[in-house]
Amino acid sequence: MIKLDSITKSFLLGKESVHVLNGISLEIEQGEFVAIMGPSGSGKSTLMNIIGCLDKPTEGEYYLGGENVSHYHDKELARVRNQSIGFVFQQFHLLPRLTALKNVELPMIYAGISKKERQARAEEALLKVGLGDRMDHLPNALSGGQKQRVAIARSIVNKPKLILADEPTGALDSKTSMDIMEQFRGLNGEGVTVIVVTHESEVAEYANRTIMVRDGLLQSPAAMDRGRQR
Amino acid sequence: MSFIENLGMALSSLKAHKMRSILTMLGIIIGVGAVIIVVAIGQGGEAMLKAQITGPGNTIEMFYQPSDEEMRANPNVFQQAPFKQEDIRALEQVPGIKRVVASSTKFSSARFQTDSTDVSTTGINQAYLQLNELKIEKGRGFSSADFLGGRRAGIISSKLQEKLFKEENPVGKVIMVSNQPIEIIGVLEKPTGLLAFGSMEVYLPFQTWRNIFGSSDFTQVTLQAASPEQLQVAGKKAAKLLNNLHNTEKSYQVINMEEIAQGVGQVTKIMTLIIGSIAGISLFVGGIGVMNIMLVSVTERTREIGIRMALGATRGQVLTQFLIESMTLTLIGGILGIFLGWGTSTIVSYFAGWPSLVSWQVVVGGVLFSMIIGVLFGLLPANKAAKLDPIDSLRYE
Repeated sequence: MIKLDSITKSFLLGKESVHVLNGISLEIEQGEFVAIMGPSGSGKSTLMNIIGCLDKPTEGEYYLGGENVSHYHDKELARVRNQSIGFVFQQFHLLPRLTALKNVELPMIYAGISKKERQARAEEALLKVGLGDRMDHLPNALSGGQKQRVAIARSIVNKPKLILADEPTGALDSKTSMDIMEQFRGLNGEGVTVIVVTHESEVAEYANRTIMVRDGLLQSPAAMDRGRQR
Repeated sequence: MSFIENLGMALSSLKAHKMRSILTMLGIIIGVGAVIIVVAIGQGGEAMLKAQITGPGNTIEMFYQPSDEEMRANPNVFQQAPFKQEDIRALEQVPGIKRVVASSTKFSSARFQTDSTDVSTTGINQAYLQLNELKIEKGRGFSSADFLGGRRAGIISSKLQEKLFKEENPVGKVIMVSNQPIEIIGVLEKPTGLLAFGSMEVYLPFQTWRNIFGSSDFTQVTLQAASPEQLQVAGKKAAKLLNNLHNTEKSYQVINMEEIAQGVGQVTKIMTLIIGSIAGISLFVGGIGVMNIMLVSVTERTREIGIRMALGATRGQVLTQFLIESMTLTLIGGILGIFLGWGTSTIVSYFAGWPSLVSWQVVVGGVLFSMIIGVLFGLLPANKAAKLDPIDSLRYE
């Protein structure tokens, strides 16, 4: 499903180049539930951006579902994000002026799906996350947990194979957090690959594998080994 | 992503900042409105001037321009009326000519009781009335009997009535024109329009005029052709005939009013263009306002742009979204501006007595031009939005 081969990423800061990722190789199979952990500044966000096709590696190859996406242009990356990846963010990132339903429809607008089908599929996704009665609410009329559930509905509506969640429970209380993680567990049960970036071990416990990133490297080569799942 | 979808999106984000959108639009509304007003009034003025110059149509004026020899032979040639009674009769026989309108004007005095004033006294033939309608406000117009019998009946202008009679009804009263009694049978309507100045005038049947001034010559001759196509040919024939009768080379000539009208049209067109371009500057300023607000909007919505990109919007789709948004802004402004311009020029023309012409070309041009302005001035902000980096944009506070 996901194969990273010696991925490096460096940025130019003034005249100096800063290495954020120093050669990461990693494989994630279809249907896995993976947690990426690491202290701030470890490069886990950059890693997630590369996996999410929001950023391109400086060197190395990235295969997503068999496609080598490391040299894709912006336009192709946009298509990959739209079709193959669902994003869930810590700050929910819903558009404030659109209702829950319209927010969920957004990825389908860019996929070129007809209005009628969009509405039907968005309703279906919102029902699935248990927000059937909140479809016409604007985001600021929803609680944090509800907002995140709208974001999850939005992430699954184009039926991607991969869901990337960046600190999805970072802005939620612990009870709501567990509730959200249950949603991910349910999706994972349906065969969707889920990658969660987090620094909370309670959250990481939902995953069947945890990857530690430190100083731009996977902390233990053993983490590559599928046999050493937690 | 369809155009309609983009349009809906644009409308909803313009609605989210109503005040700002309206104020930005105002620049375009005023700009388009100003251009429409200038063009409408300019075109109306041009049409009016042309109509006034060419008159009711297919007419041509004759004039007499003596040669150097004639002037040397007779230094008083300009004091004499150039058209004789025989000339008129001969002109009436020229094929293709339907009417020969002749009149003579002399300045003299008019007196009623003790008040007297200078007036221009015009003797007209009957054909004159066919071509130049004398609009009567009080009393009656001339009848055939007035012309045949040389009745001492006259029609005066409203200005002269004011001067000699004040509020009194002059119809039936007798005034002395050049010390000869004339009965007033009618008063002309007050002239309307921007360029109309009232003047002291008396109109008399030509017979009467001849008896008073002792001259049977005409100062002005206008020919009316049977059809507009015959006008030029008949006019040339007429000029040739008069030159033969008077033994002159080409002292008698015809003026082509069409050509003069076109010349005047050129002048008013240039005037309209100049003032229109000045009005166009305000449209340009309005466009800069749109660009400014769109730039602000892009900055404010950085996060939205990042979200859309993360969800799969391409740079092209983001560019299109913002272009359509600024185009919608200017298009609505442009349409409102057309209504503003149309309304204002209608009101102006109502009070100025000047027709205003809002042609469909101007309306279509206004709509297209405001759309082009939207695209043009939206390009920079939209490009800025499309160039944003999705990661930075998602982090933007």
